[in-house]
Amino acid sequence: MVSENIEEYLECIWELSQRSTPVKTKEISDKMKVSPASVTEMMQRLAEMGYVQYEKYKGVTLTQSGNEIGTRVKRRHRLMERFLYDIIGLEKKESHEEACRMEHTLSDESERRICQLMNNPKTCPDGDPIPECSHSCTLCVSEPSLPLSEIPKGETGVITHLKCDDTAKMRRIIAMGFVPGRNICVEDRLPMGGPLLLSVQETKIALAREYASMVHVLPSGKCSKAV
Amino acid sequence: MNKPMQVALIGHPNVGKSVVFSKLTGVTAISSNYPGTTVEYLEGKVVHEGQVIEIFDLPGTYGLSGASEDEKVATRLLAEREPDCVVVVADATRLEPSLVLAFQIIELGYRTILLLNQMDVARKRITIDVEQLSGILGIPIIPSVAISGEGLDGLVESISSPPRKPSTFKVRYDSHIEAMLEKLTSELTTYELPHPKRGAILKLLEGNEFFTAKFDDEFRAKAENEMYEFRQEHGEDIEVHMNRDRYGEAGKIISEVVGKIPRQLSRRERISELTLKPWPGIPLMLVVLTGVFICLVFIGSALETFLVAQYAGLTAGFFDSLAHAIGGQLGASIANGLNLTMMSIVAIVIPYILVFYLVLAILEDSGYLPRVVILLDGLMQKLGLSGRSIIPMIVGTGCNVPAILSTRVLGSRRERLILSTIIILAVPCGAQTVVILGTVGAYGGLIYVAAIYAILLALILLSGWFMHHFMRSEPIGLMIEVPELAVPQLDNVLDKTYNRVKDFFVIAFPILLVTSFVLELLMNFGVMNALVEPFSWLTVGLLGLPAITIIALLFGILRKEMSLQLLVVLFGTADLITVMTVDQMFVFALVIATYIPCASAFSVMFKEFGLKDTAKVTVSSIAISFLIGGVANLLLSIV
Repeated sequence: MVSENIEEYLECIWELSQRSTPVKTKEISDKMKVSPASVTEMMQRLAEMGYVQYEKYKGVTLTQSGNEIGTRVKRRHRLMERFLYDIIGLEKKESHEEACRMEHTLSDESERRICQLMNNPKTCPDGDPIPECSHSCTLCVSEPSLPLSEIPKGETGVITHLKCDDTAKMRRIIAMGFVPGRNICVEDRLPMGGPLLLSVQETKIALAREYASMVHVLPSGKCSKAV
Repeated sequence: MNKPMQVALIGHPNVGKSVVFSKLTGVTAISSNYPGTTVEYLEGKVVHEGQVIEIFDLPGTYGLSGASEDEKVATRLLAEREPDCVVVVADATRLEPSLVLAFQIIELGYRTILLLNQMDVARKRITIDVEQLSGILGIPIIPSVAISGEGLDGLVESISSPPRKPSTFKVRYDSHIEAMLEKLTSELTTYELPHPKRGAILKLLEGNEFFTAKFDDEFRAKAENEMYEFRQEHGEDIEVHMNRDRYGEAGKIISEVVGKIPRQLSRRERISELTLKPWPGIPLMLVVLTGVFICLVFIGSALETFLVAQYAGLTAGFFDSLAHAIGGQLGASIANGLNLTMMSIVAIVIPYILVFYLVLAILEDSGYLPRVVILLDGLMQKLGLSGRSIIPMIVGTGCNVPAILSTRVLGSRRERLILSTIIILAVPCGAQTVVILGTVGAYGGLIYVAAIYAILLALILLSGWFMHHFMRSEPIGLMIEVPELAVPQLDNVLDKTYNRVKDFFVIAFPILLVTSFVLELLMNFGVMNALVEPFSWLTVGLLGLPAITIIALLFGILRKEMSLQLLVVLFGTADLITVMTVDQMFVFALVIATYIPCASAFSVMFKEFGLKDTAKVTVSSIAISFLIGGVANLLLSIV
């Protein structure tokens, strides 16, 4: 688990780096209101942890994992700000402060649901953009999902959830890789009530319709034929 | 001498794990059934610089949640054997699911090595930054092409080299699960498993029975409570979320280390696709299946005739002198019994079973079998059977013994028993085909043969329908991975064939021997002839056959096609039409085609399903065959 302090720093660097990179340590110390010395010390730590690349005198740039955490925290911050401001009706300042605390504790699931609830907002109350969800954002769209068995041939979608009361069957489905968030393409539907021919990433799977009806999918258009 | 190292191979089905295993261990492999299950696993040895490495090949599994019998056995074997090292065999062309499996092995604290198999294909499609992947996972990663042996030396080297420091890689689950893990870990005071607490608790939360049994009731109740709360809160089971996070993590790693090479579909991929489309997949399948059938029936019977002649030539006089040496009726019985047993092996095992297993291994290794199953599943479901049952039925046209063994592809014992019954009753094996062709086929023409096959087909449909409606057997839906087509490897095909023929031998040989002796004793002590009169109500009365045919029917227990040879011997003429009418031959062939499992099939049924069910199937198949024979006789005599 990344500490709150580290998340704060990454969030700050992420925000600064939207303007220019590399980010100067002075900019960070100004924004975070801490001494340049402790920023330097922190940057060395973050570099060791692999979240940033730090070069003395030049500044810091986020690595992929650092960028991911920064984006996530920022997204949650702005999303919560929006939520507190729009739905609960707090003042801007209060919602900002409260969001500052919630950004570290919000679970993926709550984030997703709030996102869904608010119909996938694009900006926070100040007009700053809310970074797009890094996990598949289609989940936030409040369109209804369909059982996989009803997806026509040649169409694709993202698994939203599994609907199954039989634990043994559900485990089998999970074990074959039918897991929320994954993309599925219905390549063919075999005649006489035969199985569906699916491709999940690089894997091809034949799935009986009774199982396919347990996997719920949000359709997202035609399968891409590219390899 | 160092203590032998224990190494486990684990991987999804169709990743080439068995090739890796056989290339590593060569001929030293032995196959065992995990006690109390039909799940098989292989063990073998490799010696590297004086260090003995014992390798065991776990059954192919998609996960480690204990969902299927294979997964249960894999979990248990891993726990019981406490391997020094676990090798996860991955298909490099589709890395994601294998990474998810590797995560779980790492979570359980095993020293893990990831073998990226099928790199030859992968290199044409993607780039994999192996070093970066190894850095992320904190484990050695070895690219390999198992069929050419590439990378396997490196694997052995890596296994026997001193272990690196344990991987610190962790899948980050969503915050609720992480909080739950933290809480449960701190509350877990008495703990004796060799796994890290985090890994074991994850398995507990996933509901893996092996692990749930390892925790005390109090802790289990705590975990169940947490799981219940999770479900209430999220509306989904925790295992769905866990796996979502695992696949999410795997997808993230892949986006970092894997690059795609833009390209066209290869010819192999295009053919693989075509064989799956109803058109031209279904016509092509009919061609392949007909080919298999022709192979089994015609090559089988040609080989049989040839081999039996060779055998008779080679052993001429030997059994006579043996009988003479022992002396008396007993001597004759022993010598003849031995002769019959040997001849059965020459006449059945080699031509039918060997040829069949060869064909089966080729179909399996080429990846074609799953296509047959998929294309026919819709039709088979309509008949109350699952698509998977088509394979045992095709196998059954060769020989019932491997057919019954191959019902193992089906899920439940019940479904297996139902299908085995149908196969024994209604799928004509190679030997039964010989009788059909040699009697009505030779003297009555194609119409009669077609009639027999039509009756058998109706019998299959009827029994499927019957099971479906009266035993409420719901066929299990299909959920199988479709491998790409591949060119079968000769050594792998031969290996499989050898092992299967050997298995058959071990089961069937003793039974054949005993049955042969008993039948010969009965024959030589005149018991057989004494049976002709008492059973004439059956042969003459019910079936309308000459009374003496009871002897041929009895010998049919040993080998179906022997009943034809015996007819010739009993009547003293090879021209059967002079002693039996075509109608009589029709009834005779029909009875032979449906009746009692032969001794070998009986023994394999006994091994797979126990005496009680085998006896039931035997009795009912006898009853049904005489019933059908009786009805046929009645109808023919009216006409």
